[in-house]
Amino acid sequence: MSLLSVRGLTAGYGPIEVLHGIDLDVNEGEIAVILGANGAGKTTTMRAVSGMIPRSGTVELDGRDISRTGAEKLVRQGIAHVPQGRGTFPDLSVIDNLRTGAYTRRSGVSSDIDRWFGVFPRLAERRDQKAGSLSGGEQQMLAIARALMSRPRLLLCDEPSLGLAPLITQEVFDVLRKLNSDDGLSVLLVEQNANLALRLASRVYLLETGSVVASGTAAEIASDDSIRKAYLGA
Amino acid sequence: MERLFQYVFDGLSLGSIYALLALGLVVVFRGTGHLNFAQGEMAMICTFVVWQFKAWGVPLVLAVILGMFVGFLLGAGVEVTIIRGVAKKSQAGVFVVSIALFLGLNSLAAMVWGNLPPEQMPSLFPDQPGDFQRIFGAVWRYEYIGVLVVALVLMGLLFLLFARTKFGLAMRAVASNPESAKLAGIPTSLVLASSWGIAAAMGALSGSLWGGIVGELGAGLMFTVFIYASAAATLGGFDSPGGAVIAGLSIGVGEQLLAGYFPGWIGQEMKLSVALLTIFVVLLFKPSGLFGSAKVERV
Repeated sequence: MSLLSVRGLTAGYGPIEVLHGIDLDVNEGEIAVILGANGAGKTTTMRAVSGMIPRSGTVELDGRDISRTGAEKLVRQGIAHVPQGRGTFPDLSVIDNLRTGAYTRRSGVSSDIDRWFGVFPRLAERRDQKAGSLSGGEQQMLAIARALMSRPRLLLCDEPSLGLAPLITQEVFDVLRKLNSDDGLSVLLVEQNANLALRLASRVYLLETGSVVASGTAAEIASDDSIRKAYLGA
Repeated sequence: MERLFQYVFDGLSLGSIYALLALGLVVVFRGTGHLNFAQGEMAMICTFVVWQFKAWGVPLVLAVILGMFVGFLLGAGVEVTIIRGVAKKSQAGVFVVSIALFLGLNSLAAMVWGNLPPEQMPSLFPDQPGDFQRIFGAVWRYEYIGVLVVALVLMGLLFLLFARTKFGLAMRAVASNPESAKLAGIPTSLVLASSWGIAAAMGALSGSLWGGIVGELGAGLMFTVFIYASAAATLGGFDSPGGAVIAGLSIGVGEQLLAGYFPGWIGQEMKLSVALLTIFVVLLFKPSGLFGSAKVERV
């Protein structure tokens, strides 16, 4: 059953429309990925889904209309968004970043902090360090852990591999895969690295200049010759 | 030696008043990146409100607390109704609007309270000529001791709020990364309005303490205090609450030392220019201040 269902989503910045009516679904317990070149509207899609920018069209979470709900409230309904590049609070310590992620919750915060410190041991070592002093990979992991502190049902993850070394990227993706398989976390991922993303995702949307031009299972997309040529370089 | 102790002690006491007002500037700046030029005038209005409550027969301590509460509402109200809308359109606009607020509040005070004979502002503490204690030969007036203690206690409470409470965490998060704060479910509008409210409430206390020392209220009550507080916020770093406190106290002490030891060529008249010179020199050579992080160019 579809956890997130988006129909005819349009959004943009001021007078400029960036998304021209997007349809996409993320099923319960699934990893879906949005692929596309720079400027295709991937980040805008994420921002529109999480309520960071004004949008029109239908956005439903678990059958409930959330198209008029702002970002601050959507967190309570189970959407967590790791924005591109800077998802942490650089002036706050690592542990305060995690506490901030649990702002909407009352109980079980410290046991969740322990849990994510277990998943990301390097964050535990740096718990009192300011987030801004962490390496890029550590910041990305902190941003994800911060988002998970709200106990989301759907995690929006905007290009977690941006600026990371391949090995670190692999580590981040392994964590996402594990969260998905062990906890049944649903993930909507934006990625430029198509090879990596296709190995992780079960469903793929291909975005071009604000429209979905192809969609299907990862296997279908990977076996489509023209798509392979354009996005996978082989 | 007694003179030195005297100047240092008087300076700490006056400096704590500057530090309170400077903390207000810093709280607003951290939250929204704006320099609130009307911070001193908000404090002045609130001090008149305290006086008014007192004139209506409210006990002074309660009147000050009520004044701080009115200050909170005034600050939060100004942010919600005036600043927020302008900030969306233009950052420079906020600067102009806060200057307009400065003038507007000043005229408002003159209009409402100006036609009365000079208002006598009572002190929260014993301030008769004999109310002092000699320590190391210096005169420690009870009033000055009280001001220092109250100011330090309030600052301590504020730091506890920042460091230990969930709301303080939200304030720091919004200051650090407003977008991610929103994504974490923090009601950023409420946090920003409260920052302005807290700043104005601290101003109200600062004004009440200062008013008690001056003894008389007027529309120009907070003008010099605001200059010293601005110098303190600049010196300490506009985004550093600890810096504002240390710089506020230092400027208070510095002011007393300079005016005391060089009565001839600095004295009471020229010491304000020393504060302005401090602002100038800091902005020129270390714009982030002593304890601030280097992003103050947002001013």
